[in-house]
Amino acid sequence: MNVVVCVKQIPDPAAPPALDPGTHNLVRSGKLILDDSDAYGVEMALQLVDAAGGGEVTLVSMAPNGETSGLRTALAMGAAKAILVSDETLAGSDALGTAKVLAAAIRRAEPDLVIAATESTDGYTGTTPVQVAELLGLPSVTFAKKVEVDGQTVKVERQTEAGYDEVTSPLPAVVTVTAGVVEPRYPSFKGIMAAKSKPVDTLTAADLGLDGSQVGVGGARQEIVSVVEAEARSAGEVVVDEGDAHERVIQFLEQLKIL
Amino acid sequence: MFEWSQEQQMVRDAVRRFVEAEIAPHVDALEHGDLPPYDIIRKLYATFGMDAVARDRFERQLARARSRRPGGGPGDRPEEAPPEKEGAGDGGAAAMTLIPIVELCRFCPGIVTAMGVSVGLAAGTIMKRGTPAQMERWGLDLLTFDKIGAWAITEPGSGSDALGGMLATARRDGEEYVLNGNKTFITNGPYADTIVFYAKLDDGSDTPVRDRQVLTFLLDRGMPGLEQSKPFRKMGLHSSPTGELFLSDVRVGRDRLLGETEEERDGGGRESAKDNFVTERAGVAAMALGVIEACLELSVAYARDRMLWGQPIGDRQLIQLKLAKMEVARLNVQNLVFRHIELSAAGKSLTLAEASAMKLYSAQAASEVAMEAVQLFGGNGYMAEYRVEQLARDAKVFQIYAGTDEIQVTHIAKDLLRR
Ligand SMILES: Cc1cc2nc3c(=O)[nH]c(=O)nc-3n(C[C@H](O)[C@H](O)[C@H](O)COP(=O)(O)OP(=O)(O)OC[C@H]3O[C@@H](n4cnc5c(N)ncnc54)[C@H](O)[C@@H]3O)c2cc1C
Ligand SMILES: Cc1cc2nc3c(=O)[nH]c(=O)nc-3n(C[C@H](O)[C@H](O)[C@H](O)COP(=O)(O)OP(=O)(O)OC[C@H]3O[C@@H](n4cnc5c(N)ncnc54)[C@H](O)[C@@H]3O)c2cc1C
Repeated sequence: MNVVVCVKQIPDPAAPPALDPGTHNLVRSGKLILDDSDAYGVEMALQLVDAAGGGEVTLVSMAPNGETSGLRTALAMGAAKAILVSDETLAGSDALGTAKVLAAAIRRAEPDLVIAATESTDGYTGTTPVQVAELLGLPSVTFAKKVEVDGQTVKVERQTEAGYDEVTSPLPAVVTVTAGVVEPRYPSFKGIMAAKSKPVDTLTAADLGLDGSQVGVGGARQEIVSVVEAEARSAGEVVVDEGDAHERVIQFLEQLKIL
Repeated sequence: MFEWSQEQQMVRDAVRRFVEAEIAPHVDALEHGDLPPYDIIRKLYATFGMDAVARDRFERQLARARSRRPGGGPGDRPEEAPPEKEGAGDGGAAAMTLIPIVELCRFCPGIVTAMGVSVGLAAGTIMKRGTPAQMERWGLDLLTFDKIGAWAITEPGSGSDALGGMLATARRDGEEYVLNGNKTFITNGPYADTIVFYAKLDDGSDTPVRDRQVLTFLLDRGMPGLEQSKPFRKMGLHSSPTGELFLSDVRVGRDRLLGETEEERDGGGRESAKDNFVTERAGVAAMALGVIEACLELSVAYARDRMLWGQPIGDRQLIQLKLAKMEVARLNVQNLVFRHIELSAAGKSLTLAEASAMKLYSAQAASEVAMEAVQLFGGNGYMAEYRVEQLARDAKVFQIYAGTDEIQVTHIAKDLLRR
């Protein structure tokens, strides 16, 4: 079974983030790393391929400046190869633009299953994978907390507020996984050394038959009009327990209509 | 080499993540002696496939040893193998060993000591001077960390003068030897499965004890007459159990004599003890780098955060001086470590004097940096919670084991004056 995992390479969340004052886009000029959210997808894919007894994991990523650091991390975990789409034309892409690029790249790999994270750590619109599915004409199952493949179907336990739904879908399909679906492995030293020589196919938008009117700033249907500071958190209310704290907490929650 | 390569950074980041997630939360238990370090070390090995790498390497070493002396009878011992040329591109085996050492020492130098003595000293000695049969019987399990090794040379009456002052004896008795003597300060002594034990040959002649031949034996836990003490209480390095060994009439066959011969190839037992000097001293420099990096990072953060008279203490020049000196130490020690890695990748090695100079400087730098970090943290620095207190106690040992500062000085000076 062949699985494609969409992996986003993002600025290190530990470093203070910066927005470009002109475009309001996240500054991505420094080194990018594998989004932690996608490490779960990579692990899930590796386990599914293992369970299927054959096949391989291909990574698909769109990132500026030919960035491969994050891909190398996922390759070190055990993915076989990667397709990277990197091109000036793609700057300023919105989620749909990104989805067009990813869909076109995924099509090349002809996978049995596509895995992405539920949402990225930096942009977190949580909209890209379903758009990818739509563009590819594939069913999509989101919020997976458990994934199993059984012949030509994928069985998913889909996280809901109340518990989980059991969903079955024919393959190929797009599945987005939550953190905790599986525990991502650490790359072994051997894996890290091997990652260096695994193939990374670097493509431009044109290679995928896409041009500046479909992707990038030109193709974007979203525009970030303004950015405002998040409101500073107010101090909150301290409840000192004088025997009635539980009642006052309940009262407070009722006020907020949480209860 | 002026920075870690991309692969080396990936190794570093992965190990750092492991250390922060799997080791940092247990440092208290490790330090208070409730938790021996061995299971954590095994987890580290399994996680990064270090056991598999060790197994592959073992097979190659064994094949080399066998091809050199087909038959493998007594007296068989591999010749000095030409150093494997590693090529700087793949990061080099030296870097792959030293990076985890640096990362572990940011939190727990004791773990590195327990690991290094078992894999580096005990297994290293067997792989260098053992017969193929001994490599298979004792070497492999130590290299993969399935078993724990100790390397026992120091005695109550002789540390710096370990070879000359050694009193432990191996008395010939037919085809066998009878071992007697006490060893002290032995890392992993309380838990070791395999012990590399040094003793003076007693062949009944009247050679003065000081001049007698040194033989090396391979012992197993639980042999009749062998007693392994409980761990000592120490100033620091609590995560590394250190103890005593008592031998009374321990009977061993020639199969346990390292190299299975008394014949002194390449200087015999005395040289065997010295084989490890260069690797061990380079290892201590990497340990020092970990301690210095951690202390510097913690100190910079504290200098920014700690407000006095309405100002961060980092605004004060006396504090800035401490930070600047720590940075100088970090740069110097890192450069020394890089130099060692470069040399190994090129198939070369530091001379003993260079390795001693490296160890002397790094050990003093780590001790000084860690103590200055305690000072910079004020009262908090004296409290365990802030970590620099532990690192300062741990760093002190760098100036004592693997040859004291004073012994390093003698090695450097001897080399200079001989030129
Ligand atoms: C107006 C606008 C302008 C932008 N301009 C730029 C820009 O100039 N430069 C730039 O680099 N980004 C830019 N972005 C962000 C970029 O296009 C995002 O990748 C895209 O919007 C996806 O959004 P998200 O992070 O919210 O993804 P989500 O939908 O939250 O992502 C869910 C999952 O989809 C997959 N995925 C998402 N994006 C990628 C990717 N790129 N590669 C592989 N897998 C992926 C991952 O598995 C991810 O976890 C811009 C976004 C907007 C809205
Ligand atoms: C935590 C720990 C773990 C250890 N693990 C092991 C182990 O696994 N195996 C093992 O065999 N040993 C081990 N040792 C022993 C260690 O190698 C010795 O402690 C060390 O070599 C010093 O020997 P000593 O303690 O006998 O000190 P001594 O040799 O008695 O030294 C006392 C002082 O005299 C100084 N001195 C000695 N000679 C000279 C000289 N020529 N000129 C000037 N000054 C001199 C020394 O530097 C020191 O300051 C360990 C020690 C410690 C603390």
